[in-house]
Amino acid sequence: MAEHRAAVRSAGRRLLRRGALGVRHTVARRKRLMVYLAILGPGMITANAGNDAGGIATFASVGAEFGYRLLWILIPITISLGIVQEMCARMGAVTGKGLADLIRERFGVRPTAIVMLALLIANGGVTVSEFVGIAAATELFGLPRFFSVPLAAISVWWLVVKGSYQRVERVFLLMSLVFLAYVVSAFLAGPDWTAVGNGLVKPTFSFEQSFLFTFVAIVGTTISPYMQVYVQSSVVEKGVTAEDYPKTRTDVWVGTIFAIAIVFFIVVSTAATLHKYGIRIETAADAARALRPVAGRYAETLFAVGLFGASMLAAGVLPLATAYSISEALGFEKGVSRSFREAPIFLGTFTFLVAVGAAIAVIPGLPLIRVLLVTQVINGLLLPVVLFVVLRLVNDRELMGSYVNGPLYNIAAWLTVIVVTFLSLAYLAITIFPHLLTG
Amino acid sequence: MLYLSQVLGRPIRDLEGERVATVKDVIVRLGEDDHPPVAGIVARYRRRDFFVPRWRITELNEQGVRLNSDILDLRPFERREAEVLLARDVLDKQLIDVDGKRVVRVNDVQIIQAAAEWRVTGADVSLQGLWRRLAPTGFFGTRGTVEVIDWSDVGYLATDAATVQLKSSSDKLARLHPVEIARLAEALSYHHGSEVVESLDDEIAAETLEEMAVQQQARILGDMDEERAADILEWMSPDEAADVLGDLPEEKAEELLGLMEGEEQADVAELLPYADDTAGGLMTTEFVSLPHELTVGEALARLREMAETPNMIYYLYVVDGEDSWNLQGIIALRSLILADPDSPLAEVMRTEFQSAHVDDTASEVAHKIAEYNLLALPVVDEAGDILGIITVDDAMEILLPKDWRQRLPKLFG
Repeated sequence: MAEHRAAVRSAGRRLLRRGALGVRHTVARRKRLMVYLAILGPGMITANAGNDAGGIATFASVGAEFGYRLLWILIPITISLGIVQEMCARMGAVTGKGLADLIRERFGVRPTAIVMLALLIANGGVTVSEFVGIAAATELFGLPRFFSVPLAAISVWWLVVKGSYQRVERVFLLMSLVFLAYVVSAFLAGPDWTAVGNGLVKPTFSFEQSFLFTFVAIVGTTISPYMQVYVQSSVVEKGVTAEDYPKTRTDVWVGTIFAIAIVFFIVVSTAATLHKYGIRIETAADAARALRPVAGRYAETLFAVGLFGASMLAAGVLPLATAYSISEALGFEKGVSRSFREAPIFLGTFTFLVAVGAAIAVIPGLPLIRVLLVTQVINGLLLPVVLFVVLRLVNDRELMGSYVNGPLYNIAAWLTVIVVTFLSLAYLAITIFPHLLTG
Repeated sequence: MLYLSQVLGRPIRDLEGERVATVKDVIVRLGEDDHPPVAGIVARYRRRDFFVPRWRITELNEQGVRLNSDILDLRPFERREAEVLLARDVLDKQLIDVDGKRVVRVNDVQIIQAAAEWRVTGADVSLQGLWRRLAPTGFFGTRGTVEVIDWSDVGYLATDAATVQLKSSSDKLARLHPVEIARLAEALSYHHGSEVVESLDDEIAAETLEEMAVQQQARILGDMDEERAADILEWMSPDEAADVLGDLPEEKAEELLGLMEGEEQADVAELLPYADDTAGGLMTTEFVSLPHELTVGEALARLREMAETPNMIYYLYVVDGEDSWNLQGIIALRSLILADPDSPLAEVMRTEFQSAHVDDTASEVAHKIAEYNLLALPVVDEAGDILGIITVDDAMEILLPKDWRQRLPKLFG
């Protein structure tokens, strides 16, 4: 026996010398490319989930009401969104923990409860808005909402709970591609490109209530609190480590720029088609007109498909993100691959949000577009709470080691927090005080 | 019974009852005890933290702390070896409950006074414990069940303080099945998951790693001390070890392979050249081969003498003599036991058998194993020499859809 062993050993050595390791390595490298493609995802999905029903309603309204004047906002918003998303993705990769986990471990129970409450309200509102989006989209097809909304709710629930996670993500991503129609429409509408350029580089601002409302809604819909939680959780679930992190950073920034580019085209196309004729957006059909240059009389159909896809995408992501946070914060089992018995709180929260979102959206006579905008404003108002916590955590050297923010990065991030907080407070003050004064 | 949340932030009074500081943290010393004793308190006064040793404390309850003197040592607090700060290291952190086989988050810590010592008896993981800390003091009723994990069942404490790992934790974890350890380690953050694996002894660490995804195995072994990683690799089955090495960066893989002991190193090195989607990549070199001239009785005796029998001994592979690897036939262990001890193996063995070629694709091989209901399939080269065997569990991994595989332990366990 010993001789055999010796023979085998030398055979092994021979193979080694012939570069045996190299063979397996080409395979390993091929595999690593697959890993890369699999990792390329969280940032892209999250940023684009921001372009949901509430997002489309907000940006279409911005274009219709203010024309190209507010385009400049998109530049600071790209930077802020990218920075915020990147910080959370980085925390996920470096610590291997979700945002709610970290909040609980660093700040204790009471601050966690406050942040979770803010998140629950914001996410509950946005979930409602997603189902409102589904209602608006299907009503353009002539399908009554008390039929389509429950059906959509059941499908979303089934996709997430029963389907495999990656398959779900691919379905979501595919749906969000419908937005590309806005890009074509923006070009075909023949916008005044000089005016577009001016709007992009010349900031205009006012303290009117309608202006602040729009501003907070834009911020709330692009940098929604749930997106931070979601991006971090998916980075953790994908098993990204500090070493793999550079790929994820690329993913986050590419996703951010892609998402904002689409926002840009939504605003341009609505400005060029609706603002020119002084049309305000009151219903989904108004918003659909912005697609006439590309789709003609099929504009409503195309818009409905886009709105439906986007709403379905976020209607799954959002309750999922909320369920993640709450389970993380309270220390319950989590993950879509778990069964109901293993993770009752996780799947329970998810199911509850889908059900409640759908239930509110079928209320007859709901002013759909207005509801969409208001939910985004609630997001914007609660955002500073989450951002403040994120910044405290990401700069915690004990937690992040050498991965804390650099000074320039911190300035940009804190500036985002301060500006968002200031705008939210200004909006609240202007909204509350006229009422107080007029009794 | 006392809860940590009821003590934190409460006043510390001296002999005269004068308030001198507030409780910032409670220190326990880990040792042999199942329920570690309180070793002192971190007191806070005017933004300064200092240490109050156990022997100065006469009372510890909901009203706070009472000292036995009015002299305070105000030197700043520094953590010592094997000390755990309950608020900082335990509260709100995750731990592995060995009894319930799960990862939980600590909502509160239970302290009980027994024989003039305050001891940590358990971790409160119930909603009740959460509510106790959330609600304003006095608002809190005693209704609701309190779910407490006995401190002696704490297998691992997921804290960032490196010095506080429980000494006995790896023994407790070792009581669990490697599949369970792997699942618990995966539920923690990846840093803590690695720490869990590292705390186990080599053999259990190897078995636990084998239950994890290859990328994860590679990450954990890659971050570990090289000598230790090589020791664990030696305990792993050669095919698993080869898969992990294939997933590591080239220099790292070569270094680890170089550190492995002769025999195990050779076994793994032999498997490395095969791509992992072929029969060669799937096979293990651990199998029993017997020369055909042995009798059944001698063969059984040889099996008993083997220092380390491979996992798979249900099939015995009969080769063409002591120095040959040329596969002649297969004997199932069952027929070997039932056969007459004096008959030669050549008479008992089956000469008609299924085999795979090293270059066959993995799915081809897996289907063959499923089709013929085999527990293992020998892999041969052009000359008909046996190179290794593919066992049914590896074939299952190819055949079953991905999320099925994740649910397997629950379906069958």
